[in-house]
Amino acid sequence: MAVLSPRRLATEVSQKPLVRDTLAGRRKRSGWLWLLEHTLARDVRVVDQHIREGRFQRGLALIAGLSAVLGGLEVTLQHYRGSYSQRVMYSPVFLSPLVLLAGVWGFFSRRVARTLLPISSLLLLGDGALGFIFHVRGIARKPGGWRIPIFNVIMGPPIFAPLLLGISGFLGVIAAMLRREDDPPRVKAAGLPGQRPAWLGLLPRGITREGVILEHHVREGRFQKVLAAATGVSAILNGVEALYPHYKNDFTYKVQWTPILLAPIVAFAGFGAVASKRIARTLLPLTSALAVLNGAIGAFYHLRGVVRRPGGLKHSFYNTVYGPPLFAPLLFAATGFLGLLASLLRRAD
Amino acid sequence: MSLTNKTQDMPLPPDPNAPRPTIESGPPATTPAGRLPINTRTGQPIQPRPQPGYYPGFSTLSQQKFWDEATRRVVLARVNNPPPIRFFTPDEARLMRAVIERVLPQDDRDEAHRVPILNYIDDRLYHNRIDGYRYEDMPPDREAHRLGLQAIERIAQTMYGQPFIALPPDQQERVLKTIHDVEPPAAHDIWRQMSIQRYWMLLVQDVVDAYYAHPYAWDEIGFGGPAYPRGYMRLEGGKPEPWEVAEQRYEWSGPLWAVSNEYGPIGAGHETITPGQEGTH
Amino acid sequence: MTTPHTSGDAVMESPLAGAFDGATPGAHMLGPIQTLDTPMRRYGPHDEVDYVIVGVGSAGGVLIQRLARAGFRVVGFDAGPFWDTERDWVSDEAGSYNLYWNDLRITGGSEPLAFGANNSGKGVGGGSVHWAGFTPRFHPSDFSVYSDTGLGADWPISYQDVKPYYELLELEIPVAGPSYYPWGDPHGYAYGPHPMGGVGDVLINGCTKLGIGVSIGGPVAITSGSHGDRPHCIYRGFCIQGCKVGAKQSTLISHVPDAIRHGAEIRANCMVARVNLGADGRVTGVTYFDPDGNLREQHAKVVIVSGYSIETPRLLFNSACPGFEQGLANSSGVLGKYLMAQAGTVVLGRFAAPIRMYKAPPAHALTEEFYETDPARDFVRGFAIQTVGPLPIAFAKQMMVAKGAWGWGMRKVMMDYNHWAALGFLGEILPWEDNRVELAAETDRHGLPVAKITFGLHDNDKKLIKWGVDKTMEVMYAAGAEEVVREPRYAHLIGGARMGNDPRTSVVDGFGRAHDIPNLFLCDGSIFPTQGSANPGLTIQAIAARTADYLIAQGAGVVNRPPRAVPAANPPLRRDLSPHSTAGRGMPRLKSKTPKAKLGLGGLAAGNRG
Repeated sequence: MAVLSPRRLATEVSQKPLVRDTLAGRRKRSGWLWLLEHTLARDVRVVDQHIREGRFQRGLALIAGLSAVLGGLEVTLQHYRGSYSQRVMYSPVFLSPLVLLAGVWGFFSRRVARTLLPISSLLLLGDGALGFIFHVRGIARKPGGWRIPIFNVIMGPPIFAPLLLGISGFLGVIAAMLRREDDPPRVKAAGLPGQRPAWLGLLPRGITREGVILEHHVREGRFQKVLAAATGVSAILNGVEALYPHYKNDFTYKVQWTPILLAPIVAFAGFGAVASKRIARTLLPLTSALAVLNGAIGAFYHLRGVVRRPGGLKHSFYNTVYGPPLFAPLLFAATGFLGLLASLLRRAD
Repeated sequence: MSLTNKTQDMPLPPDPNAPRPTIESGPPATTPAGRLPINTRTGQPIQPRPQPGYYPGFSTLSQQKFWDEATRRVVLARVNNPPPIRFFTPDEARLMRAVIERVLPQDDRDEAHRVPILNYIDDRLYHNRIDGYRYEDMPPDREAHRLGLQAIERIAQTMYGQPFIALPPDQQERVLKTIHDVEPPAAHDIWRQMSIQRYWMLLVQDVVDAYYAHPYAWDEIGFGGPAYPRGYMRLEGGKPEPWEVAEQRYEWSGPLWAVSNEYGPIGAGHETITPGQEGTH
Repeated sequence: MTTPHTSGDAVMESPLAGAFDGATPGAHMLGPIQTLDTPMRRYGPHDEVDYVIVGVGSAGGVLIQRLARAGFRVVGFDAGPFWDTERDWVSDEAGSYNLYWNDLRITGGSEPLAFGANNSGKGVGGGSVHWAGFTPRFHPSDFSVYSDTGLGADWPISYQDVKPYYELLELEIPVAGPSYYPWGDPHGYAYGPHPMGGVGDVLINGCTKLGIGVSIGGPVAITSGSHGDRPHCIYRGFCIQGCKVGAKQSTLISHVPDAIRHGAEIRANCMVARVNLGADGRVTGVTYFDPDGNLREQHAKVVIVSGYSIETPRLLFNSACPGFEQGLANSSGVLGKYLMAQAGTVVLGRFAAPIRMYKAPPAHALTEEFYETDPARDFVRGFAIQTVGPLPIAFAKQMMVAKGAWGWGMRKVMMDYNHWAALGFLGEILPWEDNRVELAAETDRHGLPVAKITFGLHDNDKKLIKWGVDKTMEVMYAAGAEEVVREPRYAHLIGGARMGNDPRTSVVDGFGRAHDIPNLFLCDGSIFPTQGSANPGLTIQAIAARTADYLIAQGAGVVNRPPRAVPAANPPLRRDLSPHSTAGRGMPRLKSKTPKAKLGLGGLAAGNRG
């Protein structure tokens, strides 16, 4: 792609006629939404259009906030099992509600969505990366370290959990780049640079340029590849995070295999969608929907597992901490949701 | 990866409603087959094997590379280098061996996989390793064992008119049972020097100390053995670790003539229960 | 027969890079002792030090750390070795023989106590090396048993006097437990609870079915989370064989390294033969056998004896001298008397489904629902029910007693090892004068007379044990056991040189100072007047920290007797003396309100009680 000046980009944007006509839109609309056409046609079309045009900042900000707090609750419980023995273990506990706050506030305030949301999300993303390093180190510091990986990964700090939390941060960053639902459909070229968040200016020029291009794509809803890849990564992380605790439990229930079998397929669809528009429109939404369903079922089973533990509800706090993790399946569902969202987007090319 | 390699299914508890052949009597104690434990469902003696128990294929020693060096050295020395007999005289050793074979029979183990219990007891007494105390109504452990052997020999002579080692296993058990029940028919002068039940506990403790310290016994009962630096991950629900083996039960019983099949308190109710001596909390 | 390796895959036969051999067996497998890079200070034979501590165990370890950190010249003696945990300790039941005090003692009475592995440690770290690690606090009522019930004894100090030290030690150890612990003085723990093993589930199931409260996952002195250079527990179940992991606290790994870093000297394998008394009625130091068996002397301004309930009285008896013919500091004649052990009956239940109780620490859940005196029962005081996890040898011995198993029957019940779960009843036995430590005629390898212990139960104890064991069996049945048996036994030692305000009925005062000799202190479980039904380890360490604060506050004046007319106020709490990297960790926790007025006047309050 040739180097684009913001002005040229904006001109391109303005030259693309937006789809308004419903009949014409039927073919152009993202793969699977036509299923809903007869029932929710109008609202769905609006949402679809917003997503295709990258005008769903409010929605995504809220989603980023909610997924951050899901991960935050999980990490709060899990770090309690580790007794917060390192101060840094508190960081995700405080950062994830901050992202929630930014997300919700960003829903109402354009300004927050462009300032606090990306800052807190980036912090969470960085915290996830930092946590990953600490968790790898934590496993190494267990007796036997990485020489007995099966045992120490299972009994040590969950290796990929911090990265999963980081994905919420990633969503928040994306959300900050989007346009808002109530933005006018056509953005004036002159308005663009001014609306760019100030923090981008801190980055080196080269990155800034790539960032500007990406940001423009995002703002136009043309980041399907990025989000599909994120879905793939998230699915793999989720799969691994489901694999070893379920292995620890010796796969007592056959259903414990399902997220492990499904995750690679979602990941395949996610990465495949990067290469193939077709996969992005077919396999990705299908498997993503299955992941959402699977996550919901998992959440139910995990809740049941907590209740069925010795002492049951009478020792609900302990059983929540040490029973099957309640929020982990919901994170898998969130991955599925990410995939669904990706399938609705447009591609950069 | 081994992650898909699932161990055996969880064992089912035996079905209480299943028809169970009642076996009234097995082979007599004097025959070779009569010395063996019996499968009470089939009525067949269980032939000697390297590893009795409900965990076929389970081997703690196969995991020795996961043990720390100090532990491995101690356990392998126990398996590979049983200490020589130095404390007991040859006559005492012969009698003691016969006694041990009844206090903890190993007839269902093949020759290569029997635990040399006598050697470990002899080693303890040779080095005079004690448990940190002695009951005021007991002589020192060395003396107690010597006196006990004399008493057993005299009880055997009184009951059956033969040396203990010449008796068939069922009669040997009955001799020992009199001490367990704290009503030995002979050697009263010896029992005036030491408490009968404390001698019995000393004997049984020494035997189980040696037997259940051995990896062969761990494999038999499904105990995981040393666990450092690798610990355990399946803490709840009695699930086996990936390197452990799930239980595969069958109807196992000692030979039907064995009076030691029956459980009853030491002293057979004549005495109050003697406190145990092992620290667990 | 199948092949021995059913896992059928190389991963389960060897760690990556092979077995754990060599000087550095694997990253982070060396504990705080091995990684200590400070050389130990050595005092010369003619140096007079400030403090000599006899016995570096639960109390001695905390004392020596505090005193060294405060800048005193201090030497600790221990009759046993200075453990190199990675090389000396093994993950094996029989191989852990050396951890225990296996020297001869004579035991008698109607209920003779077992020693050795049961309750006595030897070597630096002492009993804390092989305790299971349960660390409940004593209840406030434990300090006023006589006032409340007319039986037993009162302490010269109150719960409020010890409470700040409970809170401090719970962080230093650190104690893992629930965020709310409902019994006694309710409180919470800064380290989170542990996951359950099979036995814990049995206790929870049984208690929940009967409507009994249960504390899950603690309080135990086992790390749930890393703590300085100590890793998180790996749930291997070898707690009472010495924790090679370094997760379960012993003073050897929690306090001794810090003591050495601050200039303390520890002389291991040195058996103290006697405490020497000078002409002025003050002790001058100790005479001891060095590792080669030579008699040597060490002068000190103050001697603290921390040898626990048997060896502390024994040392004082063996130190008898003109003026103290019946034992040093024993003008009262109380020395060696009022010895206690807790009734530690093990209740074993067989379950249809496997339990595998060797996994997870033996100590991981308990209930103190029956701790306090209940007027509805026909006895005073109470008991606790705790999880235990006997390994095969211990279990076989329990079956020998509980079922009378031997021969083929022993083989059969042992083949069911994985189906059994064990609960530990822990009942308070009151202090009785006739339960005592004396000297026997026999001597040890140094020629020192050994201890002779006499122990028996009284009416209240028997009723308590019967009621409590029945209740424990009820819990076991409620959890679904199909067969329940019990093995009577006794756990822990307390008393033998009790503290009190009256020099005629006690050996030491509320700070452990001998009534008879101003610069002789006793500090261990032997000075406790009563024992509650809580495991004593935490309280022993807390009392040691309190004694240390008192000694530090007294400074050089400690060798002089304070005027008795002035009630001894609590010393200032020295939070700054915690070992390196133990402060400020864990989570904020629930602290119950402490009445300020009571805190400073513990001595006075106790004085009123007599």
